[in-house]
Amino acid sequence: MRVASVNQSIVDAVELPPLIRLGEHLYGAVFVLMKLLPARFILDRARDEGLLRPTSTIVETTSGTFGLALAMLCALRGYRLIIVSDPAIDASLKRRLEDLGARVEILRQPAAVGGFQRARLDRVAALQAQIPDHFWPSQYDNPHNPGAYALLAEHLVERLGRIDCLVGTVGSGGSMCGTSDYLRLIFPDLHVVGIDTHGSVLFGQKDRKRLLRGLGNSLMPGNVDHTAFDEIHWVSAAEAFLATRVLHRRHALFMGGTSGAAYLVARWWARQHPGARVVVLLPDEGYRYQETIYNDGWLRAQHLWLDALPEAPELVEDPSESGAAWSCMLWNRRTYEQRIGAPFQAEEVS
Amino acid sequence: MHGSTKNEPGEMTETRRDREAFSHGASATFGAPSTNGRCLAVSHHGEILQGVFEKPRGRLHRGLVSLKCGLFWSEATFWPDATDVLVVDPPSKVKARRAAELTLARFAVDGCGGRLKIQSNIPQCWGLGSSTADVTAAMRALSHTLGFRLSPEVAAHLAVRAEVASNSTMLGDHAVLFAHREGLVLEDFGQALPPLEVLGFNTDPTEAGIDTLDFPPARYTWWEVEAFRPLLGLLRRAVATQDAPLVGYVASASARLNQRYLPKPYFDDLEKLVERVGALGLQVAHSGTIVGLLFDPGDPDLEARIAEAEAALAAWRLGPTWRFRSPSS
Repeated sequence: MRVASVNQSIVDAVELPPLIRLGEHLYGAVFVLMKLLPARFILDRARDEGLLRPTSTIVETTSGTFGLALAMLCALRGYRLIIVSDPAIDASLKRRLEDLGARVEILRQPAAVGGFQRARLDRVAALQAQIPDHFWPSQYDNPHNPGAYALLAEHLVERLGRIDCLVGTVGSGGSMCGTSDYLRLIFPDLHVVGIDTHGSVLFGQKDRKRLLRGLGNSLMPGNVDHTAFDEIHWVSAAEAFLATRVLHRRHALFMGGTSGAAYLVARWWARQHPGARVVVLLPDEGYRYQETIYNDGWLRAQHLWLDALPEAPELVEDPSESGAAWSCMLWNRRTYEQRIGAPFQAEEVS
Repeated sequence: MHGSTKNEPGEMTETRRDREAFSHGASATFGAPSTNGRCLAVSHHGEILQGVFEKPRGRLHRGLVSLKCGLFWSEATFWPDATDVLVVDPPSKVKARRAAELTLARFAVDGCGGRLKIQSNIPQCWGLGSSTADVTAAMRALSHTLGFRLSPEVAAHLAVRAEVASNSTMLGDHAVLFAHREGLVLEDFGQALPPLEVLGFNTDPTEAGIDTLDFPPARYTWWEVEAFRPLLGLLRRAVATQDAPLVGYVASASARLNQRYLPKPYFDDLEKLVERVGALGLQVAHSGTIVGLLFDPGDPDLEARIAEAEAALAAWRLGPTWRFRSPSS
């Protein structure tokens, strides 16, 4: 018989989420920091394959929660970590990374062609050349990122049994493509709803400045498997932020903005499909957003204040029709080229 | 091979009555015997799940969850004597002989020989666990006749030593995840699988089958090793809540993964058949050639569904079929 036990580390304790009922058949997977799962799995596999030694330096470019997860693991395991970022990184996250022992390099100059993304990747390449004993986790292209989510799939099905629909935001493609891949081995009919934001290239929109962070992308990660998705939604920052607050007020869940976007769509989908068992992934907590999403004054000043949540998305046929508000498009598990009509072409960001 | 694999309902009742005569409390102590020293061991019908499992973290084990099948069994009788020579009848039962020798060594019985007779109706090399049943019946007959108690855990170890790869049919009624090449229980699910009605058949028209030991262990990819986690998680729930449909999902997914290693013919058609007739799923012998369609025994439309499935299988010349309920009691 299993006896209650203590955890070996905070990662062991919180890498899997409690499941919270948010509606009759709607369950939220409430993560402290979802990126702990891929960060740990990527490091474990690299260690097993001999790519990561106790003396190695880990090099990654990130301005988000993947860097935080890496920094926590490196602090626990004693690896050196260099994080390459740009001025968009928030100051308190930078301080936290540094307190965990990471060296954070902020690039001040965008590349002449390709902007900060390019400059960051160039700097990672330079560091790799300088440090022979390095490891680059490369969350956008490493198959061990989506591969990490078997633990989540196990956690979900052991608690819920059959699952009909998985809803979540898409950034690197890891969580949604990985989890749905494992779940569909068991439930081939699983309906997968991916959430993007306006101005992200992932599902066919033109790249532009985005106010909602933590989902979407200016690049096309190798880990986004478009054929995983039945349905795609684009959610705006204002809508996601209000939904984040509703999630807090109604369910006392103090989460970040991506969780709000996911909750908005999942709640609607569950209402449209009564009886279907729906799981929504809520990727991180709200502490980083106390001065923004949870601050009415900031929301009004940024013109991101909404009085009420939209009832439903606008159904569009083409990503270009998606306007500025919540919209959705049937993707039907097709490739990018099949759905958009042309293969993805990266625009140079300037 | 035994004469007919097609079991009419009458025949099945006969089978069950025979079995019950031999199996008083077999789960409480290993191989509680019948009269006359005859001991019985039932077959399995392939697996609900077979793969690689990390238990505990950092240690991978090959493991399986057997589906027990009371239709087929092996029966062993032992007559000891002081000849110091062990005669096994028939002599082809070399794994049963090895198990008998290991059992004698385990009990440190010197100068004891005798005659061990094995009678089995289990077709070999189909994935029904014929050698494990022989081995288990032999160990039961010896331990009973010689008056020793052999614990299920020790029996599992001896079985693996006798036949290299074993299954968990000797371990009582609980569904267990069994490390079949180590003789270890990796996880006890705490109770039996929920009741399932199984329509079985052999996918190999030659009926020659596959020798478990000639067939190299699957070399799973890292993704497949990970993919076994949710299958195990769902099976835990299926057993704990006695949810037969969930067992169907697990069995079908395990069979899908196994298609890369030992593909069953007509697999895609069989999956469509499951959908069409409203079966719960399909399970396979991961190192054999038999397949079982799983049904809910409490389903009011059970007979109609099975008749429809039998008709489709007959059209594909996948037969004869047989039918059983697991667990059988």
